[in-house]
Amino acid sequence: MPVLSVERVKKVYGSGELAVTALEDITLSAESGELVALLGPSGSGKSTLLLCISLILEPTAGRITINGIEVYRDGATGIDVRRLRRENIGFIFQGQNLIPFLTAQENIALALDLNGVPKRQASRRACELLDYLEIGHRANALVANLSGGEQQRVAIGRALANEPPLILADEPTSSLDTDRGMKAMTLLRRIAKEKRSAVIVVTHDERMIEGFDRVFRLKDGRLLDVVMNAQRS
Amino acid sequence: MDLAIKDVRHHLGKFAVTIVGVSLLLTIVLIMNGIYQGNISDGLWLIDNTRADLWVVERNRGGPFNEQSRVAEDVYRSVAAVPGVAQSSPFITYNVEREVAGTSQHFTIIGYDVFGGLGGPARIVTGRPITRAHYELVADEKLGLRLAEVVRLGVHDYEVVGLTRGAVDFGGNPLAYLSLHDAQEVLFQQDNRALQASRAAALRRLERAGTTSEEAARLAPLLSAPTDTTNAVLVRLVPGVDRRAVAQHIEEWLYLSAFTPEQQRDLMLKGRLQRMMAILGLFRSLLVVVSIIIIALIVYVLTIEKIKSIATLKLLGATNWVIVRLILEQSLVLTVAAFLLAWASAELVKDSLPRSLLLLPAETLVTFLVIFAGGIVASLMAIWRALRTPPSLALGG
Repeated sequence: MPVLSVERVKKVYGSGELAVTALEDITLSAESGELVALLGPSGSGKSTLLLCISLILEPTAGRITINGIEVYRDGATGIDVRRLRRENIGFIFQGQNLIPFLTAQENIALALDLNGVPKRQASRRACELLDYLEIGHRANALVANLSGGEQQRVAIGRALANEPPLILADEPTSSLDTDRGMKAMTLLRRIAKEKRSAVIVVTHDERMIEGFDRVFRLKDGRLLDVVMNAQRS
Repeated sequence: MDLAIKDVRHHLGKFAVTIVGVSLLLTIVLIMNGIYQGNISDGLWLIDNTRADLWVVERNRGGPFNEQSRVAEDVYRSVAAVPGVAQSSPFITYNVEREVAGTSQHFTIIGYDVFGGLGGPARIVTGRPITRAHYELVADEKLGLRLAEVVRLGVHDYEVVGLTRGAVDFGGNPLAYLSLHDAQEVLFQQDNRALQASRAAALRRLERAGTTSEEAARLAPLLSAPTDTTNAVLVRLVPGVDRRAVAQHIEEWLYLSAFTPEQQRDLMLKGRLQRMMAILGLFRSLLVVVSIIIIALIVYVLTIEKIKSIATLKLLGATNWVIVRLILEQSLVLTVAAFLLAWASAELVKDSLPRSLLLLPAETLVTFLVIFAGGIVASLMAIWRALRTPPSLALGG
């Protein structure tokens, strides 16, 4: 069973003559341990698709299932989306979006705290993740005192905190230089394999596609093609 | 995880400056509370500490504090003869501005029958009461006089024989007690040149009326203003007597007005103090509203500054309560800290202000509750803004 299943999803903004179709008949899936890319230029619909998968935007039609739970089927199914997000999805943002008044460790513990994990347990888990991400020595540093690469690792740690089956990363390398961007992608690949999460990365950077298991290429709101193991299918 | 406190720690300087600013406003609110209560306390001090059962004044006058009342000195004898009256004493009170203890001071002179009459100083902290008919004075410490110091009032010198503490008139000015006749003398006695001018004026009036020079010289002293008037008669009743009945008797048979202490307090609160209390009340309310508006704006700005963090929290699945708590807690931390600082400041400065400042714990508590509720209201705008923030704001650059 795929961790993420998107079937014939359509999203239309506005109505009548002003209606704009942002997504049309999108079908894709991501398996556990798989690193998947949503690739496309600006305006291709990848951000809209990410919002739909993030359970922020309701698709006009189609079906989305996360970890076996049907969230949308031609409309909302009444699932508590915040809880579903908390428990099943980890987010890595374009600009990291760490909470600036918290330390590296606290930023990771926050995700656990929101999920009701006791404080001591959350702190221990945060430290373990920082060690796993090789920045354990920066645990008590405030976000502002971390380098871009370190911030990215903390953001990844936060996404991993609740061991979600699905991790969504929005342009995770856009604020990093090429070298650090490559390292971040290597880390995401490692996470997908070791943590058995489905990692979906939204990117417009064609240079990154080699590292993905599958690449879904979008254009004008439609799925253009799928690249598997860096080979065109 | 207490996000609000962690944010406060991160922006400690900004919060500290804001707390100091808001606390200054709240200090003014508390000081105004103190002045308000101080005015009431001062206004009622003389009434409460005179311990008369009835205040008898000129007919249809709200005297002796709200309105000028003139009563002939010997009227107290007629009052003493009223059934139910145990004791009655003449009483005089007026404000003066004189040079005392090296500075020009505004104070109130109280004249009373020093030989067992009513209306004398309630409690003397140093020295003794007046025991001689003339030239002795009991003053409040606030005048800055020392025992045995000699004060010139009018044409005579008066020796300070006793000191009181907290004896003030309705304006918070200190009291100085004299014997009745000394007080009348200070009030009415003129120097020689004034006497000559007044006598010349009386002679001219008599001569214009057609009297001879000899007759005018004989009659002129009779035209001078009387100096044996008082302002009120203080009455102590026989225990168990109906005060209203005695007052009614005095009003009907002696053609005077008589007030119980409760009526005198009402006259003071509704007359002299009402407008001042209304103005102080208005300013207090305005300052509280301004403080709450400032807190609301500060909390709103602080929320806007972390709106992306709030969007991130929402995207991470934070419940609305986590967001509400973050904002509400900061608003309340700001409000409570500013209030505590204001309270400490008001307590610190209250004794150094020229006016009596009475900080009543109950009123301070009510003010705190109002400000606390204001702090909650102040956070509503920011909470509304935060809850409307879409989690999608966290995505994208």
